[in-house]
Amino acid sequence: MLETLFNLHTLEAAFRIATPLLLAALGGSLTHKAGIFNIGLEGMMLIGAFSAVSFSYATNSWVVGLLGGLLFGLLTGLLFGLFTIDFRTDVIIIGTALNLLALGATTYLLRAIFQVRAGLSSPRIDAIPDVHIPFLEHLGFLKVLSGQSVLTYGGWILIVLLHVVIFRTPFGMHLRAAGEHPEVLAAAGISLRRVRYAAAAGCGALCGLSGAHLALGYLNQFVINITGGQGFIALAAVLFGQGNPVSVFLVTLLFGLADGISSNLQVLGVSGYFSLMVPYILTIVMLTIFAIRSGRKKSAIRA
Amino acid sequence: MTAPASAQPSAPVMRLLRRLYGLATSRESVSVLVSVLLTLVVGGVLVVINGDNPFVVYRSLFVHAFGSMQNLTNTLAAATPLIFTGLAVGISFRAGVWNIGAEGQLYLGAMGGAIVGVYLTNLWAPMHIALSLAVAMVCGGLWAWIMGFLKTKWNVDEVVTTMMGNYIAIHFTSYLANYPLKPPKAPIGSTDYVQESAQLPQFVPYSTLNAGFVIAIATAVVYWIFYRYTTTGYQMRTVGYNRLFARYAGMPSGRMILWAMFGSGALAGLAGCVEVLGVQYRFVQDMSPNYGFDGILVALLAMNSGPGIVLVAILFGALRSGGLGVERMTNVPSELSIVLTSVLILLVSSRYALVKLFRKERGTRA
Repeated sequence: MLETLFNLHTLEAAFRIATPLLLAALGGSLTHKAGIFNIGLEGMMLIGAFSAVSFSYATNSWVVGLLGGLLFGLLTGLLFGLFTIDFRTDVIIIGTALNLLALGATTYLLRAIFQVRAGLSSPRIDAIPDVHIPFLEHLGFLKVLSGQSVLTYGGWILIVLLHVVIFRTPFGMHLRAAGEHPEVLAAAGISLRRVRYAAAAGCGALCGLSGAHLALGYLNQFVINITGGQGFIALAAVLFGQGNPVSVFLVTLLFGLADGISSNLQVLGVSGYFSLMVPYILTIVMLTIFAIRSGRKKSAIRA
Repeated sequence: MTAPASAQPSAPVMRLLRRLYGLATSRESVSVLVSVLLTLVVGGVLVVINGDNPFVVYRSLFVHAFGSMQNLTNTLAAATPLIFTGLAVGISFRAGVWNIGAEGQLYLGAMGGAIVGVYLTNLWAPMHIALSLAVAMVCGGLWAWIMGFLKTKWNVDEVVTTMMGNYIAIHFTSYLANYPLKPPKAPIGSTDYVQESAQLPQFVPYSTLNAGFVIAIATAVVYWIFYRYTTTGYQMRTVGYNRLFARYAGMPSGRMILWAMFGSGALAGLAGCVEVLGVQYRFVQDMSPNYGFDGILVALLAMNSGPGIVLVAILFGALRSGGLGVERMTNVPSELSIVLTSVLILLVSSRYALVKLFRKERGTRA
């Protein structure tokens, strides 16, 4: 019974499921730390996925596909930045409109350029390969760490990288100040605008990678609305993990495990829908706990 | 000095004309017009990518949205859920809180209404429909109220909780539609069909326009009267406009927020229920193509005004149903209308910034 619910395959599946969430959530961490409430992760991922498949289709190379996803994600991030930072339009409106635009534009272009109705799959699309690490495969349960997609390892490296950037570099300090005390940043003569633009661009790029992984590392095709709400799970992970890369990683892994266990539950004839709700319920509960605790410390009035 | 006698009767007319002229040339109108034109240009580029003539496509879009009685009824039918969700989000915006969970509240309302519609029998039709709508309002309303409670009690950000609440509600109703309530042999997750006594009458053959549209308009009228003529409406707006002032004036801001959240969720629930009782005749999983999120954009464009929400919802509905018509006649994908809607929102909601940007460049740099 327990073996069916939780085994090595579950762990392997958890890593696989967590990867796109992790990449997007790391991006969301950047904007979260910079004080931008970004609900546009979903749209940025979708644009990344579409670009990645298009570039891979056109060039027959997953590397180019990946870079295409990264580039167009980054451009979307800059567009998001332009509206939220320079035009000062409400960030929730922009996020909602961006998600809508991404869904409409990718579906439109899919049908207009590739003349297919629901999805593009073709042998010309080069997939992102898995990496096998031979010595790990003989080390008992550690073998789950081998055979993952390139971007899974890329994501793990990014956790360390972003942790160092956010907590150990001057830029990271500016980034956190932009979220916590923007006025201090201004007093120190640092451009809030530039810091936030960097965060938005970085977020877009990482979401682009995440979308590329969904399309090229997972299904090896683009289907309409391929992200299917994963951007919002990633957002939940960002809020749950408070934008700290390591916490965010653990949260995405937890969400991945919940998902993996849910597929096993389905084998046993139990509905998977309840575990689909887990990330959202956990996030609401955690945020409420955070709020109660901070409310005890100081009775804050939010502006 | 007195004006010539002959000019006197025309003075009010002149004043009206001058006001209209002023309105038409105001920065507001010009910036909106420029946004619309820019949107059409972006859409035109997409049409050209598809190898079609933008002018032909736009003309076809307009004809398919308004060109005949049939098309007009389709447009109004498409606008119906958006009127509800627009009003729903408008209520929360007016009270200064963000309910971006209308999508989930819509699903809960649809499910609640469907359950009443399916499982209660032998009821007088108006009674059955009213009961179904009431249950839908309570389902959607309570879900939003919980988020309002977390907000007023512990200051938990309602943007996040309502957003997360969407997916909890969607997965929960999908579960019900796929397991306990699924009729045998149903190909997709759905409930059974509602009783005939719970179905909203349709007006026009071959169109999904139904009594739900009338309910939507009536709701918009109530919304308008509520904010214009009632004390509670005034207090709710004041709480939204300036919470500190409202508190000093002795208005119960916490209670206002709770009621606003409940009302907001209730109207979103109505949107789902009307879709069930008037169009689908059952709950179907994934039945809403983002009506709840579109409601946010409708309320924003209409600046929360009741009549404005109706008009913007009809505009969105026209784009939606016109886009479908275009797809039938040409090979331009109907998603063109989604792109037009979202680009329009982006531009209109940033129009002040855009205008300022241009003025600053002219004023200080050039």
